[in-house]
Amino acid sequence: MLNMAEIDTTETTPPLTQKRAKAPLPDSPILLGWLRQMMLIREFEVRTMQAYQNRQIGGFCHIYIGQEAVAVGSIAAVNPDDPVVLAYRDHGHALARGMDPKYCMAEMFGKIGGCAKGKGGSMHMFDAEHYLYGGHGIVGAQTPLGTGLAFATKYEDEVIGEGKSDKVTLCYLGDGAINQGAFYEAMNLAGLFDIPVIFVLENNRYSMGTAIERGTTMAHALHAKSEAHGIEHAIVDGKNVMNMYQDFKPIADWCREESRPFFVEAQTYRYKGHSMSDPRKYRTKMEEEMEEQDDCIASLSTFLQEHHDVEPDAIKQLGRQVKSQVRQAVEWSNQSPETPLDELYTDVYTDVWGPFKGTSKPEMLQDENE
Amino acid sequence: MTVATKERVIEFRDALREAMSEEMRVDKRVFLLGEEVAQYNGAYKVSKGMLDEFGPRRFIDTPISESGFSGMAIGAAMRGLRPIVEFMSWSFSLVAADPILNNAPKMLYMSGGQFGCPIVFRGNDGAGGQLASTHSWCVESLYANVPGLKMAIPYDAYDAKGLLKTAIRDDNPVFFLESERLLSTKGHVPEEEYTIEFGKALIRREGTDCTIISFGRPLHFCLEAAEELAKEGISCEVVDGRTIRPLDIETMITSVKKTNACVVVDQSWPFASVGSEIASQIHRYCFDDLDNHVHRVHSDDVPTPYAYNLEQAYLPNSHKICEAVRSATYNI
Amino acid sequence: MPIDITMPRLSDTMEMGTVLHWHVKEGDEVSSGDVLADIETDKATMELQSFDDGVVQNILIAAGEQVSVGTAIARLLEEDEDLTGSPSVDAAPQTETPKPVEQAKAEPTAEVPTPPPSSGGARVSPVARRLAEDHGLDLSTIQGTGPSGRIIKRDILQIIDATQETEAAVVSTPQSTHVVADVTPIQQPLAPTSPWQQDRTEPLSNMRQIIAKRLVESKQSIPHYQVSMTFDMDPLMEMRKALNEQLSATGIKLSVNDFLVRCCALAMSEHPAFNASFGGDCILYHGPVNIGMAVALPEERGGGLVVASIRNADQKSLRTISQESSYLAKKARETGLTMDEMADATFTISNLGMFGVEHFTAIINPPNSAILAVGAAIEKPVVRDGELVVGHEMSATLSLDHRVIDGAMAAQYLKTLKGFIENPASLLV
Repeated sequence: MLNMAEIDTTETTPPLTQKRAKAPLPDSPILLGWLRQMMLIREFEVRTMQAYQNRQIGGFCHIYIGQEAVAVGSIAAVNPDDPVVLAYRDHGHALARGMDPKYCMAEMFGKIGGCAKGKGGSMHMFDAEHYLYGGHGIVGAQTPLGTGLAFATKYEDEVIGEGKSDKVTLCYLGDGAINQGAFYEAMNLAGLFDIPVIFVLENNRYSMGTAIERGTTMAHALHAKSEAHGIEHAIVDGKNVMNMYQDFKPIADWCREESRPFFVEAQTYRYKGHSMSDPRKYRTKMEEEMEEQDDCIASLSTFLQEHHDVEPDAIKQLGRQVKSQVRQAVEWSNQSPETPLDELYTDVYTDVWGPFKGTSKPEMLQDENE
Repeated sequence: MTVATKERVIEFRDALREAMSEEMRVDKRVFLLGEEVAQYNGAYKVSKGMLDEFGPRRFIDTPISESGFSGMAIGAAMRGLRPIVEFMSWSFSLVAADPILNNAPKMLYMSGGQFGCPIVFRGNDGAGGQLASTHSWCVESLYANVPGLKMAIPYDAYDAKGLLKTAIRDDNPVFFLESERLLSTKGHVPEEEYTIEFGKALIRREGTDCTIISFGRPLHFCLEAAEELAKEGISCEVVDGRTIRPLDIETMITSVKKTNACVVVDQSWPFASVGSEIASQIHRYCFDDLDNHVHRVHSDDVPTPYAYNLEQAYLPNSHKICEAVRSATYNI
Repeated sequence: MPIDITMPRLSDTMEMGTVLHWHVKEGDEVSSGDVLADIETDKATMELQSFDDGVVQNILIAAGEQVSVGTAIARLLEEDEDLTGSPSVDAAPQTETPKPVEQAKAEPTAEVPTPPPSSGGARVSPVARRLAEDHGLDLSTIQGTGPSGRIIKRDILQIIDATQETEAAVVSTPQSTHVVADVTPIQQPLAPTSPWQQDRTEPLSNMRQIIAKRLVESKQSIPHYQVSMTFDMDPLMEMRKALNEQLSATGIKLSVNDFLVRCCALAMSEHPAFNASFGGDCILYHGPVNIGMAVALPEERGGGLVVASIRNADQKSLRTISQESSYLAKKARETGLTMDEMADATFTISNLGMFGVEHFTAIINPPNSAILAVGAAIEKPVVRDGELVVGHEMSATLSLDHRVIDGAMAAQYLKTLKGFIENPASLLV
């Protein structure tokens, strides 16, 4: 039997991680935009919880509070037409990607005004206009899909367009999905076929109530999983949007240029439970309080005040803006009509046959088209 | 449809290849992926030579990773590409159940009409011959339960080509179920371009006493049985459903209203099957036209056995169909 | 050895029998005397009892099926015999040692192996039901040839074909002889003919077949003649009224017919030839005086008529006769009579008085030698003691078998009968 300690892996397998120069920080208006996005997401999630408790939202509902920097920092690092595909904790990314909060909220309300006409709910945020290919409810299911989206962009550019691949796909997953077979198959295919997809692992340390150490081998060296598939990897600070962006931007650029996959572990923490029904008995209050001291919104607003002379009032003003925007989204969702029963048989097939009524676009896209 | 010109007899597998090649020539969004499809020329030689024409970017050998490459193809279809996923056997599609059942057929609905999934999954369905239970799946009953997908089962070379071309052009996920045992069968396939509309059953033999409804390979046994029964004076009408979703129940109803008797032959297991669904619909729509309850011939309700004699006893065959027709027409 | 249970001969005229309902199913243990099934004969529903102890191995005839007398309808295994040993007779023919591959059944898994016992009523396939409706056929008169006697399309089509052949034959005769040089189109009727305006054919019910057969036999083989007499009914009506007032608390209501049963019975004891049958080379004089009473059956039971038998009527009081006759009439109309309740009548009364019929003649119910056809007691002007008054009169006509009874004998009998009817007090003693 081999003694693992005697094997020098560095000689036979070169490390698939390189020091990349951080991207420069953008100017303060952009930073203020990030702050506003993160505040919007947080306010949105607070009102989501409220609406859930008011029974305006049903089913499963997963709150993104605490992880805002991951979505905002990574999405800021790619182009608006780069595909994005998500797991089920997807409200934050949808808003970061540019979905109007009213469509997102109305979707959870199960109303016709929702982004998917109330047919998907909390876990299934889709927005074709913003190249958002959905939240996906089955853990890990989105990873082959993300690989396929990236395969497609490359195929479009290289085979159909006969040019150079020019897109990168963001495929988000939680640390629970890292144990799913589909993810390993997706990584294998991405590595095998040089597919420009970034697997953004949002490591919030718990898959539902299971601490990562309890469910995953090599929990403190997750990049080993990607190395097995020949995929470059990096660990980034998912609790700070500036770090997130600065580290992520060079990765995204590299993937786009090289047309290769990447595995990014964004270390973060979710403040709330796995879902609305989670009592969080599996972790201590003290741990939560310590994690919350290092908050993405607080750190960016401090940075803006200290380095860009942003007035506290300006930040309060932002807070009032997002509060009002979310209140309007809730009101709009309340007023949006229930999804008509006609919709039951719509969107099953694109064509009309039997009881099926073909397909129609949600109001969200009709608005965009006008 | 088509105007038949001079006879051009080719194998079922050649018809499949022609369908794919023709569609790939006219639409660059169409590509094929699967195990051993390219360099190996296909485990069943369906895709023989296609790598040479279309190259490795459009004709992709995948690792044995059905869940992964099915999901990947679905992601590509969400972007508007039109992948053809070849399962060496539909038996292997079970490990890809989540993408092919949970993603492909539901994407349009879950996204509120934003993202469709124009994809074809195709491969061998049903018992190949002593492959035992895990490799002899007839997935039609299992998968036909899922709304959002279409399902076609060709019987001969002509239909194989016409239906597959329609499948590739369809904007919805199509499950295309071929039979290993039919791949070498030959039939007339015209030179001219043609497609076969989904949801249009074909009367393969006209008759007056009993309607036999089936799909794909068992139709061979149905026609055999009809020939045998004709000698006894029982005239059978054999209906090839061609597609299970959409199901052309109208043609079946019309036939049963004429014959007043019906036998459904479905090679999958009997419980909660395509056969039971058709029987249920026939009972519903032809209630006052039936002289007997709808009879069904299926594979037996057991895992597919390996032993030759057991497998033969397990599968539908013309003898069982004859017995069912005699019983349905009170000729026992 | 298994014991075959055959369709029993349950009446002298019975040739076919129908199993109406099985009281046992395959595998049931039965003892001698247990009721196995209800059998419908030509005129009655009877119980079939087991004569042996054992286990029901096979039911060979499903409920609803009709078979000839003597046909095996079930098979009993005596104790200690192996239930699984013998092949089922109604199963598809099989070789002794079936090969697995050839054993394939029509429906290997989807079928329930043994159909549940019939809940009664004819089984009809849906299309047979529809075709029967379209052609105005009465399903209750059709014998099904499908499993468990199910009426199937073929059964209906055969009837329709037979009807069409008959019609075609009728139509073809004038066509073949009628030569028209200049054919003009036949004027079509203005309104389409509705189904009930068209001729239709209804197959004969069991009972109708029997009635037809027996009465044709009777009318063709018995030298019938009729003798009528009119009776003054006033005394009888008065007594009936008085007695019914007395009996009102008991629920018994004497009918005119009850009186006639007793009158006829008493007259028969005085005239033995009226209680006799023609025996070919002898005359058979019966001991008991059993009066048969014709009872018409309602449409919903298929119509027709049965003869209920009031046994030893000459020895029964009016009250007993009334109780028996109303019981039998009700039972005949509602559930049907047993063979016993219909057997052995030696003389028959057919009374249409309740329908207002004044006078009619009846056909002798073999092997009787006479039948009395009774009309209504009608209020009419009558001469009494030389005066014209309003009174009740009833006319009755005897049909007689001249081989047994001559005209003078008939006159004597009627005279005796008249004595009883017009002096009803004599009935009470």
